[in-house]
Amino acid sequence: MQSEVVIETRNLSKVYRDFWGRQKVRALKALDLEVRRGEVFGLLGPNGSGKTTTIKLLLGLLYPTSGQALVLGQDATEVAKNERIGYLPEESYLYRFLNAEETLDFYGRLFDIPRAKRRQRAADLIEMVGLTKSRRRQLREYSKGMTRLIGLAQALINDPEVLFLDEPTSGLDPIHTHEMKALIRKLQKQGKTILMCSHLLADVQDVCDRIAILHQGELKELGRVDALLKVRDVTEIRTSGLSLEAQEEIRQVVMKHQGTVHSIGNPTTTLEELFVRVIAESEAHPGRRVRAEQADRISSSEQG
Amino acid sequence: MVVENLQVTPLVEWLLGAGWSSGFLWQPLGTTLLLVLLVGGGLGLLFALRYSSAAPGPTTSLLMGGIFGVLSLMVLSTVALCSTLDTRNWLTDNIAMPLFAALVPVLGSNWSGGALYTWLGVATGLTGVVYACGWLATILVGGPLVGTRQCGRAAIDIVCDIARISARRVFALAWLAIRESIRRRVVVVFVVFVVLILFAALFIKKDSLHPGQLYIQVVLNFTVYLSMLFSLVLSALSLPADIRDRTLHTVVTKPVRKIEIVLGRVLGFVFVGTVLLGGIGVISYGFTVRSLNHTHQLTADRLHAESLPGNRGKLLRGTTSRSHEHEHAVMIDPSGEATVEIQKDHTHDLYVSASGDNPIYTLGPPKGLLQARVPIYAKTLSFLDKTGKPKEKGINVGDEWTYRSFIEGRTAAAAIWTFDGLREDLFPEAKFPTGIPVEMTLEVFRTHKGNQEKGVSGTIALSNPQTGKRAFLRNFLAQKFATDVQMIPRSFPTAGRDGKAETIDLFRDMVSDDGRLEITLQCLEPSQYFGMAQADLYLRAADGSFAWNFCKGYLGIWLQMALVTSLGVMFSTFLSGPVALLATMFVIIVGLSSSYVVELAGGKMVGGGPFESAVRIMTQDNMTSELEKSLKTDAIKAMDEATSVMMRYFSAVVPNIADNDFVDRVACGFNVGSDLLARCLLCELAYLLPVILLGYISLKQREVAQ
Repeated sequence: MQSEVVIETRNLSKVYRDFWGRQKVRALKALDLEVRRGEVFGLLGPNGSGKTTTIKLLLGLLYPTSGQALVLGQDATEVAKNERIGYLPEESYLYRFLNAEETLDFYGRLFDIPRAKRRQRAADLIEMVGLTKSRRRQLREYSKGMTRLIGLAQALINDPEVLFLDEPTSGLDPIHTHEMKALIRKLQKQGKTILMCSHLLADVQDVCDRIAILHQGELKELGRVDALLKVRDVTEIRTSGLSLEAQEEIRQVVMKHQGTVHSIGNPTTTLEELFVRVIAESEAHPGRRVRAEQADRISSSEQG
Repeated sequence: MVVENLQVTPLVEWLLGAGWSSGFLWQPLGTTLLLVLLVGGGLGLLFALRYSSAAPGPTTSLLMGGIFGVLSLMVLSTVALCSTLDTRNWLTDNIAMPLFAALVPVLGSNWSGGALYTWLGVATGLTGVVYACGWLATILVGGPLVGTRQCGRAAIDIVCDIARISARRVFALAWLAIRESIRRRVVVVFVVFVVLILFAALFIKKDSLHPGQLYIQVVLNFTVYLSMLFSLVLSALSLPADIRDRTLHTVVTKPVRKIEIVLGRVLGFVFVGTVLLGGIGVISYGFTVRSLNHTHQLTADRLHAESLPGNRGKLLRGTTSRSHEHEHAVMIDPSGEATVEIQKDHTHDLYVSASGDNPIYTLGPPKGLLQARVPIYAKTLSFLDKTGKPKEKGINVGDEWTYRSFIEGRTAAAAIWTFDGLREDLFPEAKFPTGIPVEMTLEVFRTHKGNQEKGVSGTIALSNPQTGKRAFLRNFLAQKFATDVQMIPRSFPTAGRDGKAETIDLFRDMVSDDGRLEITLQCLEPSQYFGMAQADLYLRAADGSFAWNFCKGYLGIWLQMALVTSLGVMFSTFLSGPVALLATMFVIIVGLSSSYVVELAGGKMVGGGPFESAVRIMTQDNMTSELEKSLKTDAIKAMDEATSVMMRYFSAVVPNIADNDFVDRVACGFNVGSDLLARCLLCELAYLLPVILLGYISLKQREVAQ
């Protein structure tokens, strides 16, 4: 059974214009995307590919030129949807003259959370991100990693259903990166839907269920990470260059000799290799797009 | 220094028009119905919108967009028709006048002059013009259906957003604005003020004739400039900085409505301004009172005795010691009653605490320096020319400033102040046992030197406009711009028409049944002139507390500060920081000189409008001669006409910031009346509401991340 779609873009396009209304750049071209409840969805692409624009459109920070962006069934420009979402911006755009407690208290007040509950929640989150000792220090004194952590805490202050994470591991040391990824997986287990974009492909590969690769404002690849990384035209066995019959024959041979076949299948590549290949193909054949339905079909058939 | 426009129309009359009491709506039943409708309907709608989460469907949006669109087009057409004289007259005769007449039974006669209705009219006009322009623009971009639906949706969203404002969020954002102000070292303003006050004594003129006025003006004007400056900088730069630093991204991705952001900023900065003004006010008051407080020494050797004729005892005359750059002449009569001469707007009480050869004289603190007089002004000031014929104005002695008119001495020329609504209970005998004080400050214009020390003599008389009865009160000596206090006794002897002495009872004989009284002033010296304006003579009905009046002066500054803050925030919602700063400054300057802009827009300026003046400057043509008739002149005049239309509309909406300036009033020692205060508060509210709304709409339309 397909789970509920919580983030959806329909033919979403965005054109940036100058002061006189002339088109400067077409940042997003008819993007169709669906993110289902409980998924960790990664948005990948080189600089200027449209992934930040997509996130900003979904957050209502930008208005679409055409098409629709829906979050939790509501238009992305609706303020009401913000009650149920959390956002960790790329640079943790927080007020640097506040300390951690004040920051969380301030954002908690924006959610109309009662004082006692707000304080409890703030204390829990500060503890969760490991900033208890620095909770009274102004954010200007924080390192980049600490700022990311308090940024994540503010994104979780309302216990959101959907989380938008912009470069969640950027600026974090390996330990904190590991913790952040563990936290993302923990949040997923709690049933939260996460849409993240990152340049750190290894991190995306580690935590994302599905990814979309954008290039020049167009969707180039979409599907489950394991399916996309699977090299379908290569069968991985101990030996190479065998046909199915030969494989079956080998399997029969193995069984005949009371052996066990551990795996016969396709090997996987790395996300980095996939990313580079998709971008190279896109450069070579501009205009080719993956439609969401097609991608879903592919990913479903892979799962099936 | 002169305080003009002292006449204040009663609040309700100003708000609802002169004949408001005859309107059904302002009768008990009508008012009750209105309240039920406003409170019941308004609150019902508010709660319905607040607690319904449903967004309007496309059909509702389309319907509402269509209705608003048609209405706004009607408003736009009306505004366009008002632009030219012919169409404006046609509109007035065929639509406005019948409409005014039809509403008279409901709203009362002269209702159209009420400030409330004017405000509603201007607000409706502006809303209509803005909506119509937006509607037409979206139709051009997206077509009629999409455009109408989008505009309808936007209008509904605005109403819903207003209904769904959360106090907790607004206060959170206000708190953030306060923290931001502290971070920006706003306290520096306070330090600057304290430093200015510490060194004020270096540049305040010690020998001023009006030290009270000078000190109050200095501290209040310092405060005005500082408060304007810090509110301008804080409000105009804050939001653009948040957008630039992208800290606003994190805020707007929370369930925060744009109106809450605007409200939070305004409230936060106004709170900071209030605290600063409070601190500055306390320091200013202490500085003023302490700086002006002084006394003088008077010892027996400074007095000399003069024998009174008829062996009536000895009169002591002398002068006090010098202090604060002045001394007072003192006179003590044989009964021990002392008179201390008024110097620099004040006098002192003199106490004689021992008798015999070693009396001890003690002078009290200054009296009259810091006061809050409650004046009753005359309804009209009329003149008689030198032949005794009534005139609207006196003569001009060559002053460019025509605020005062002059009457010539020893002729029939006179100035007549007509008071209205005088009742005996306004001057209870317990409070005014010796009579009613009349204060006057006249300008004296001398065509020959005369006796400069003595002053120019004049006469003052009373008359009853109903019976025509006239009574001579007394002669007096007038010094230029010196405030003279004349008492009108409750009863006084005078010569009757038949030459016999009679006793006049002020309220019975001289005040008409409807409370009118005329006070006539004449100059008695030939070739000398008295100059006067309506506010130069008044009845001093009471004295308010100076401290409270000083607070009212600060309240005026607070109103200006709040207005500047909201304007700064509004401009910063769609302009970058420096441009928002300049735009706010521009509105402040226009607001401070709005009377000039109104005059300019009305085409009353000598030398024509901006284009004609520019041509005159370039061609070095004088201001009074007519331009040569030509196509060029017609084009210039047409451009001036178009500019004047724009300026007329502009001046109608730009806040008159100077209206809230009570500095001169407080400095001159006049009480800021409750009617004036309430009126200024209402005017402030009338501007704050649309300014905040405009800021909200601008921010709502803005893509925060672009």
